[in-house]
Amino acid sequence: MNLAVNSPWVLSGLLLALLPLFNNGMRPSPAPWLALIPDDALSVFIACGLRLCAMAVIAGLVLGMAGLHRTEQSRERIGHGAHIVLLLDRSSSMDNSFAGSAPNGADESKATAARRLLTDFVKQRQSDLIGVAEYSTAPLFVMPLTENKAAVQAAIAATATPALGFTHVGKGLGMALSLFEQPSVTGSRIVVLVSDGAAAIDHDSEQKLRLWFKQQQVRLYWIFLRTAGSPGIFDQPEDSRDDNAGAMPERYLHKFFLGLGSSYQAYEAESPDALKRAIADINQLENLPMHYVERIPKQDLSTLCYSVATLLLLILLGAKFCEIRR
Amino acid sequence: MTDTLHYRLPWQSGSVYPGAHPGQMVGAGQLFKRHEPLIASPDPRRLDLRASVLDPFSGYRVRVYQQHSIVNVYLIADLSASMGYADKQQILIRFLLTAAHSAFAYGDKFGFIGCTEHMEPRWVLPACRHSGRVSALAKQLASVTFSGSANGLQQGVSFLPAERSLVFLLSDCHFSLARLSAVLASLQGHDVIPLVLWHQAEYAALPNWGLIAFQDMENRATRTLFMRPALRQKITAAYRQRQDQLKHVFRTFGSEPLFITENDSLQTINRHLQQRVA
Repeated sequence: MNLAVNSPWVLSGLLLALLPLFNNGMRPSPAPWLALIPDDALSVFIACGLRLCAMAVIAGLVLGMAGLHRTEQSRERIGHGAHIVLLLDRSSSMDNSFAGSAPNGADESKATAARRLLTDFVKQRQSDLIGVAEYSTAPLFVMPLTENKAAVQAAIAATATPALGFTHVGKGLGMALSLFEQPSVTGSRIVVLVSDGAAAIDHDSEQKLRLWFKQQQVRLYWIFLRTAGSPGIFDQPEDSRDDNAGAMPERYLHKFFLGLGSSYQAYEAESPDALKRAIADINQLENLPMHYVERIPKQDLSTLCYSVATLLLLILLGAKFCEIRR
Repeated sequence: MTDTLHYRLPWQSGSVYPGAHPGQMVGAGQLFKRHEPLIASPDPRRLDLRASVLDPFSGYRVRVYQQHSIVNVYLIADLSASMGYADKQQILIRFLLTAAHSAFAYGDKFGFIGCTEHMEPRWVLPACRHSGRVSALAKQLASVTFSGSANGLQQGVSFLPAERSLVFLLSDCHFSLARLSAVLASLQGHDVIPLVLWHQAEYAALPNWGLIAFQDMENRATRTLFMRPALRQKITAAYRQRQDQLKHVFRTFGSEPLFITENDSLQTINRHLQQRVA
């Protein structure tokens, strides 16, 4: 309960809450001799209650005006789940359908399918921390690891904007790994790379990625959205001359990932159904106990103050209507 | 209230001046009192021959008669703030005028002693027969707002003459019984007729339900009451108990109080006055 106010000087108005102690707000009726009127516990109780009501009304209004709120707080929680970073490919080929053509009414684009299925995935993983990063020519930082599912879903939905340029997977992976820098190592850490193509990673980047994957103990899932007719991850080159990173980047990226030393799993999805199966697979695998800190955002309490004051004011108004003047 | 109060005395007035009430003086009267020697009351017209013949010392016996005398009538009024409640002030002024009118009609002298927090000379009217002064006093009383308590009652008693007078004590008795006893004790030498003035609205005409904030007229203390039939009954019972206590105190000092409300007419007071003589 860390309470704070927006404008502390308004709190000086709390002194006004002492006013009902001096004036009970009722028009007095003359009585010749009060000592003759017998003591009445109920009346004393009601009079004190009305006084307290009036004080609470003034205090509530002043606190409301001062902008009472509960500050942002963090809470330690233990749950089953994972730290997941969704690394989405934003290259323009993602806007094509699995058939490799521009999407029409019947079939959806790869990006749309990925968006839909990932949204469902996020919905199922209630106790996970999920972050989102994207990459095309350059990596895009979208959403840090958070337990706020609405924010994650919004971030995924935001990929509906038209895609950009090329595929620079090395920098994207770097960005995804950098999201893990803050939290301590609890639960499993996963990068889900969703892409429809690959690019060669230069030697320096390879070295760094190897190091980072080791340091962060991150497991990698690669969901490769294969367009019909394009080379797949597991394809063997027909011609040994084609067996290089330039001609078959998917194969070589796969090989690089296999050589990372950390756990790695690749899925080749050629249709939305295959993509769905891949995601369900990940969903099943990653359920380790984890320890994380949930952040509770700042809560505005002024509305509560105003409503309590209104309620008490109504009580006072009722009492005013019951008042008799003589 | 231009009628007169038919007050009569169950005792004999000691005043030397002839008036309308049985007195201790002998003189021109109708009621035989005693025989006296001629030397004591040299009035040969009143010689009682039979008594003279029967006198073993062969002296002349003269009949003497009881003289009707005047009596001083005083109104001691409580002018504390509680007497300003509702129309108590008007009742007090009406009673003042009636009592003065009656006293003058009987040929008696009338005096007024008003007691506030402290004695104030303007509220003291020595016994006199000037109806002009009484009406001036009444006018003055009508123009003020009563305030303070009735502490002056004890001092007010000292303004009474030494000889036995007829004293109307008009008050609402909203002060402690101990003070009332003290006042009555200092009034012992006089014939006191206590009139306790309570207003119906004080206790009987209270509402059944509702919130009401009462402010004491004398010490300004406030109390909020949640009125309900049970509390109303309690208040009425408290006033009834107070009435019994007051009666007890007054009877201890040999006077029977009359509780009057704003509705009671002069007949009520007259009936009470006649009862105390009978």
